[in-house]
Amino acid sequence: MTKIDPILLSVYARTFKSITDEMSMSVEKTARSPILCEAKDFVTGLYDAEGRMLEQTENLPILAFSLAPVCKYLIEFFDGDINPGDVIFHNDVFSMGNQNNDVAVYRPIFFEDKLVAWSAAKGHQADIGGNVPGGYNPRATEVWQEALRIPPVKVYDRGVLRKDVWDLIFANIRFDIVEHDLKAQMGACAVGERRVQALLEKYGRDSYDAHKAALFDATRKMMEAEIAQVPNGTYSGEGKVFFDGHNVGSEFTIRVKITVEDKRIIFDYSDTDAQTNGFVNGTYTSSASATILTFLQMVNPDIPHNEGMVQPIEMIIPEGTILNASYPKATTFGNHLCPPNADAIMRALAPVIPDRVTAGWNNLLCSLTTGIHPDTGDTYVDICFLGQKGGSGGMKGTDGYDHIGMIDASGGLLDQDYEMFEQQTPHRLIRHEYQPDSAGAGEWRGGLGTETIFEIGSEDTQMVTFGDGDFEPAFGLFGGSDGTLNSITLTYPDGTELVPRNKDLIENVPLGTRYHQFAGGGGGYGDPKKRDPEVLAEEVSNGIISSEQAESAYGFKAEQAG
Amino acid sequence: MKLGVDVGGTFTDFFLTRDGYAPQIFKTLSTPEDPSIAVVTGLTDIAASLEPAMSLAEFAGGLETIVHGTTVTTNATLTRRGAKSGLITTEGLRDALEMRRGVREEQFNNRYTNVVPLVPRRRRIGVEGRIDRDGKELTPLNLDDVRVAIDQFREAGVEAISICFMNAFANPDHERQAAELVRAELPDAYLTVSTDLLPSIRFYERVSTTALNSYIGPILAHYLDQLRSRLRDVGFDGLLMIMQSNGGVMSPEIARSHAALTLLSGPAAGPGAGLVYVRAHDLNKCIVVDMGGTSFEAALVDESPVMVNEGEIDRHKLALPMLGIHTIGAGGGSIGWIDEGGLLRMGPQSAGADPGPVCYRKGGELPACTDANLVLGYLNPGFFAGGKISLDMEGSRKAIETHIAKPLGMDVETAAAGMYRVVCNNMAQGVREVTIKRGFDPREFPLVVAGGAGPIHSCLICNELEIPLQIVPRESSVLCAVGMLMSDMRHDLVRTFVARLGEHDWDALEAKIDEMKSAASEMLEDEGIAEKDRQYHVKFDCRYLKQYHEVSFVVDDKLIAARDSDAIREAFHKEHNRLYGYSLDDGDVIVEIINVRIQAVGETVKPALGTTEATDTKAADAIKGNRRVYIPEDEAFAEIPVYDGAMLQSGHRVEGPAMIEQVTTAIFLSASFDCVLDRNNSFALYRKGREDLVETALKGATA
Repeated sequence: MTKIDPILLSVYARTFKSITDEMSMSVEKTARSPILCEAKDFVTGLYDAEGRMLEQTENLPILAFSLAPVCKYLIEFFDGDINPGDVIFHNDVFSMGNQNNDVAVYRPIFFEDKLVAWSAAKGHQADIGGNVPGGYNPRATEVWQEALRIPPVKVYDRGVLRKDVWDLIFANIRFDIVEHDLKAQMGACAVGERRVQALLEKYGRDSYDAHKAALFDATRKMMEAEIAQVPNGTYSGEGKVFFDGHNVGSEFTIRVKITVEDKRIIFDYSDTDAQTNGFVNGTYTSSASATILTFLQMVNPDIPHNEGMVQPIEMIIPEGTILNASYPKATTFGNHLCPPNADAIMRALAPVIPDRVTAGWNNLLCSLTTGIHPDTGDTYVDICFLGQKGGSGGMKGTDGYDHIGMIDASGGLLDQDYEMFEQQTPHRLIRHEYQPDSAGAGEWRGGLGTETIFEIGSEDTQMVTFGDGDFEPAFGLFGGSDGTLNSITLTYPDGTELVPRNKDLIENVPLGTRYHQFAGGGGGYGDPKKRDPEVLAEEVSNGIISSEQAESAYGFKAEQAG
Repeated sequence: MKLGVDVGGTFTDFFLTRDGYAPQIFKTLSTPEDPSIAVVTGLTDIAASLEPAMSLAEFAGGLETIVHGTTVTTNATLTRRGAKSGLITTEGLRDALEMRRGVREEQFNNRYTNVVPLVPRRRRIGVEGRIDRDGKELTPLNLDDVRVAIDQFREAGVEAISICFMNAFANPDHERQAAELVRAELPDAYLTVSTDLLPSIRFYERVSTTALNSYIGPILAHYLDQLRSRLRDVGFDGLLMIMQSNGGVMSPEIARSHAALTLLSGPAAGPGAGLVYVRAHDLNKCIVVDMGGTSFEAALVDESPVMVNEGEIDRHKLALPMLGIHTIGAGGGSIGWIDEGGLLRMGPQSAGADPGPVCYRKGGELPACTDANLVLGYLNPGFFAGGKISLDMEGSRKAIETHIAKPLGMDVETAAAGMYRVVCNNMAQGVREVTIKRGFDPREFPLVVAGGAGPIHSCLICNELEIPLQIVPRESSVLCAVGMLMSDMRHDLVRTFVARLGEHDWDALEAKIDEMKSAASEMLEDEGIAEKDRQYHVKFDCRYLKQYHEVSFVVDDKLIAARDSDAIREAFHKEHNRLYGYSLDDGDVIVEIINVRIQAVGETVKPALGTTEATDTKAADAIKGNRRVYIPEDEAFAEIPVYDGAMLQSGHRVEGPAMIEQVTTAIFLSASFDCVLDRNNSFALYRKGREDLVETALKGATA
């Protein structure tokens, strides 16, 4: 057994991080789809020979824990038939994938003829086949209406391209940028391979094995110490999902039972409602990621993200529930079950660790417009990142973050720049500002929501909506108030108004229609009467809290400001 | 005589060149409350120390040029002591400045709050008026709205005003109308008009940069007034030039209206100076690293310093072309600590200059990088700063023992070696950021090492990255002050020109370029640069249609004159390929132009670096004695010779491992390197067995 050198251990940790960062940079700069390079909906990581996470660079938290389960699955699947030069693709949600559009590339890394590690990159593809371009099909009931399934498949075998397999895949995907983007992900994996091999050449296999085990140990201990601060016991919470895209008025509940036993924590979703008949269903991996990312927000943010971090966490997510649909259900909406899942966890733990939870976050409501740009005659597609960002929940000692957007991204997803938005779409932006009085009142208020107005600039525009948060606002905690609701309203040139459902497809929207969206504020935390009057005076003078709300919700009169 | 003056957090550095004398370096303690005091103190000290001594008036009066790098604007931003500001912007979009596109940099940290905006919401005022994406007016500017804003600003006592309107890059008319009114009504307020500073697309970038300029404009103006009056009082009536973040210099008049160009300019003179030193080796590229008390900076020079089109200061976007300098929190003051998982970490917390590392005896209790260097023998306790400061070895040992060695179960020396190794690894990763991540192979670039602590760590950095050649200039501890005297006047201009390459309107494009050239020419004219010394470099920012990031690349004048779109497209493919490892030149993918840029260079007269007289001394004469020093390659201590750097002359050779000590710098030559003094009298450290790397630089050497 190699002796552990604590100094070398630090060097390994830093180097792994620098490798996954470099892989991430490589994808960001070479991909063409805005979902990858602008919204950064991708993750890069390194895994050991057994598929255990060494390090990763997560750009969107919801993807953060989606690579390791697949890695373990494909090691089992290929059962030793893994060779230098192989490249494996995977997206299948029924073999540990998280979302159909999230296609992963895996590359085994060999050193002295032995498998020592994997490099991997997973990204949300602009298209993945199925009935609707882009993959969001609110009418889907089965996976084939959503996507091409890619179970583990070698596209390179010992360094040789399997052209037949490659062509089969891309014959079933609409846009050729997907082919470019997967090549970008393959490039990142090659970067990871090169650097891991260089590391092993320097320190040798024994040192690497011993030190990565020590790294897992050190991280596990950090996580165990965090869990040990949560009192032992079992705690329950709920989160609600509204509308499955088919049955108007349908409503579902996510129920979590969290058990803390000294250094272990168990998230049990056995009492969660059954799966839906539409695409509002999670997969095991998307729901596990949602669980981990929510819990991570309650612990020391410096804990490294490797296998050791997840070892003390157990998850029970039964198949057939809305969080883990059974074959062959549709699941594209699954990542967006993260907000209600987070609600359930925050509510369960609020009474036990009140200083670490937040009040409710604004849930996602998003839209996508497509049409023909009148200036160029080209098809444009726009996911309106601008409109969808509401506020996060307040927590003890800290207000919610204004205009941050859904917890799945936690501020990792950027708005389009206004002027680029007007260059790339035919729309004209009229308003994008904080929505006054949208923040849930509290000693620590919720984050502000936003108001967005734009004028649609193409004829016969098609619009898809997907999301939630228009029935139930972000919840307040410990005397704090709820945030505000999401809404989208279309005002046609003739003055008629249309309020789309939260998962909807609207056709033939005419030029000149006004799109008006509110993304709601986050929930407040604690008694609003205790809010610092100096801060309130500042907020009233800045017009983000009206003097009426200051008085009615906070008991604050303007003259107090002096 | 010319003088470079670089104001740092602890020391103000001076570099003086005089005809007929070797260049000289000086340091004086900085005076943060008014940095110009230290400048005058320095002038006084220098005048007195010259041989033969001069009076202050004689010395100051004899200076033709002072080039000055200032951190007042950077500090005012970081400490939030800028001007009381107001913003006039397009109705409905006034929160863009604060929203920062909705980013939260730490996604798992719910206690991480947004940065406080430079202009509070009550002083961000939206006005009616709208230009469309092509520059056409949709709604006229409502001047009554502008008047309302002005009244509000007057009442609030606003000192600085920014104007930034939607799509103004395509048509600045409304901004000009509003500016005219502001100037008439509030003539004393500092005013920044977004399209005067940065007439390019991307609203958030523009409004943020404009607001930064206004925030620090009055601060810089006030400082320059103070400085000029102090300099005038002591008799200086030469040319004063101010350092910019793009590596060039500018007149104080331009600095006044373009204050944001001085943000992040602190380390900007270093890369250009690096180039001067590698020229002795007939090279025109290098990596320049500078290790100070709290930070480590790395930059790449490939014929000229590598530029980026934007940066960030305290999480505010600053979209002005600047040198691509990567900064990490690793310096002599970086504190060693054990994290919750039991891993040794170095920094980013720093003991700074006060209290400083434990060994400074100023009350520091936590072990810093400098303490480890002392324990490892790299610093001479009796010869620090030439013997002015006596270092506390026992204090360093005790702090390392308590905070690092005991918790990790190792002895003090092993712990110190670990601290050294971790900090070197961090710095090597910093160098990767400016090389590998930007498509350059670090092994092809010599490392120019600056900063007092840099040459103690550079051998290990080079081992990590397999860099075979390092150059440590004599003046390494004041490299930026040297660089200031080597800088040209530089002005970067940009205009947005959205069009598909090849289908674009050549007349309109050329008109834009000509308009920028004449604007730049006027600036250089005002700065006294003769027409023959003015040059213009054209760059395009292009991307493949539907890509989100543009690539900037140089476009040869001849290609524009010949209207050769194909060759321009080829240059774009090439740069894209170099940066990202691929290009889409096989298909019919459309290339889109987004911006056109001009860099105007006004060549300044530069002093020559000294070359040394022939001596008949031998390197061995410079040996002062032996010291027990840690050799990382052997993971053990050894007795190695210590050289007096001042006695080593061009042509002398030193075999590693060895220590070379100078007043302001110590060099650790590890077991993997040998050293020769090149024809500039710089220390050239080359990997053992690679004499070939230094042959060129020895031509003209004297021993």
